[in-house]
Amino acid sequence: MPAYHSVFLDEPNQQVIGNFALLPLRTRTRGPAQQLPPLSDVTELDIEPSHPSYDPLDEILSLFRANTFFRNFEIKGPADRVLIYGILFVSEALSKIRPGTNRRDAEKAVMNTALDTNFAIPGDAAFPLNQAFEPPRDRNEAEVLRQYIMQVRQELAARLLNRVYMDGTGAPSKWWLSFQKRKFMGKQL
Amino acid sequence: MAPQTPAVVMDNGTGYTKLGFAGNDSPSFVFPTAIATKGPAGGAGGTGSGRPAVASKPNFLTGAGSGGGGNLSAKRGTEDLDFFIGDEALAAAAGPGYGLHYPIRHGQIENWDQMERFWSNSIFKYLRVEPEDHYFLLTEPPLNPPENRENTAEIMFESFNCAGLYIAVQAVLALAASWTSSKVQDRSLTGTVIDSGEGVTHVIPVAEGYVIGSSIKSIPIAGRDITYFVQSLLRDRGEPDSSLKTAERIKEEFCYVCPDIVKEFARFDREPDDRFKKYEVQQPGGRSVVLDVGYERFLAPEIFFNPEIYSSDFLTPLPTIVDTVIQTSPIDVRRGLYKNIVLSGGSTLYKDFGRRLQRDIRHLVDARIKASEARAGNAAKSGGLDVQVITHRRQRHGPWFGGSLLGQTPEFRSYCHTKAEYEEIGPSIVRRFALLGGPGST
Repeated sequence: MPAYHSVFLDEPNQQVIGNFALLPLRTRTRGPAQQLPPLSDVTELDIEPSHPSYDPLDEILSLFRANTFFRNFEIKGPADRVLIYGILFVSEALSKIRPGTNRRDAEKAVMNTALDTNFAIPGDAAFPLNQAFEPPRDRNEAEVLRQYIMQVRQELAARLLNRVYMDGTGAPSKWWLSFQKRKFMGKQL
Repeated sequence: MAPQTPAVVMDNGTGYTKLGFAGNDSPSFVFPTAIATKGPAGGAGGTGSGRPAVASKPNFLTGAGSGGGGNLSAKRGTEDLDFFIGDEALAAAAGPGYGLHYPIRHGQIENWDQMERFWSNSIFKYLRVEPEDHYFLLTEPPLNPPENRENTAEIMFESFNCAGLYIAVQAVLALAASWTSSKVQDRSLTGTVIDSGEGVTHVIPVAEGYVIGSSIKSIPIAGRDITYFVQSLLRDRGEPDSSLKTAERIKEEFCYVCPDIVKEFARFDREPDDRFKKYEVQQPGGRSVVLDVGYERFLAPEIFFNPEIYSSDFLTPLPTIVDTVIQTSPIDVRRGLYKNIVLSGGSTLYKDFGRRLQRDIRHLVDARIKASEARAGNAAKSGGLDVQVITHRRQRHGPWFGGSLLGQTPEFRSYCHTKAEYEEIGPSIVRRFALLGGPGST
């Protein structure tokens, strides 16, 4: 049984830039992503893939810990690329949190990373996975892709912080921090 | 010999030796297959030449007892008697003067001199029996060369003068041990044995008591690797104690096999109080520290099913290996091999190990049947294939228990070669044994 793939692979009517899928997100940040309704009946922890509001970010957070153990990953479609990018970003965000950091400082550090507009998108020279990701066709597409990834980064950072500081002790969960050194596919952003 | 004495069952494995009497429920003694002799250890691995010490090497360790070293081979005779086996060997080797050796490597006896001494202590010091009065049931790994059997017979008959000898293949005994399970209806000796100990895991197909040697596969993942993996997870998390011993205890006490790792992670998130455990370690200084035990509980045994998460060069999951082994066996026994997959050895004891293995193999088989039906274009329908993994209570010392079971049968003695037969024909007599527990015996 190899690494886990995205459940959104067979999603109909995907908007795709390059070969990166722009899937709907459950977020209130502004951007090109289609918005999904916020959760009312279940919590972020209990949401099932069949739920209408389940988005790729829920999936990224649930697959992150399992998939970081794998060095090989066969990309089966545009939705898998969202998954890869998300997992790599979670690794990056986790690396900003030190064992003793309280929630406020961690939020500052992680949100700084998420809000930094100076990040590489597929096609840029600094992007680590250019063999597997196609660049956008023109300037316009690149701008939309950048904004979409920005949304992913912000929403993911917020949800990750919820998970890492879930137990209410004010200290980050050591269970999450133990994944800091693992590198999915041997790559990092 | 009016009242029959029970047969002695000895299962010498690479890691542990199991000693006891046929008819018993469990071995009387279980200790490491290690011997400590005067002189240095034969290198880190203990592959030494077998003689107590090499005189040409300057030797500071033996100086204490033998008056400044010198040529030890000249003093043989008393040196020969100065040795310990089992746990005592480990204790003696921790002090000065003794070197530790492991006479069995990869299941086969490598050092006959040490093995003979190991056996003599096993018989006289541990079991305390007169070998003249007892029949012996010994085990051997699959594909053991016949010369090794002859050597064994020579030692058993000529040095110990034992009354009778039977040498059985461990995998066949492991199959016999599974007869205690309620899932086994017919006591057949056909099945696939998955034997996972400390060093390696073997998948061995057995048809009617005979090992199909060409299809055996071994996997370089076993108990020791699981321990190392637990240790690496403890270190990632910065737990206060991550020694191998601690990792081993955590492996034995807390680990289990889960159906799906992503779902299991989610379960840990939802029921943290139930899933996360604490483990207290007494450190040598008298201090005690408390460790948290978490994801390693299900991740550690997962390396059988997803070797990729642990090793970078071996990537084939155990279920796939089992399937390949059965597919490369003769076609007329495959059904029997799928129906009777028997677990044996300490590393198969994790909760739900058998269930997960059965599910994964069944998936592989069903997928193949479906594909072939599709190719046949619905012209041929398969009746389905029964995949059954047998989990039973005697798994830990499977081969020993199988030996105990067969050694207590009334006809066991007729299958053995006796001292008289050995003297008439010579060591080559042990190249062949009638099949114990085979058709028509019980």
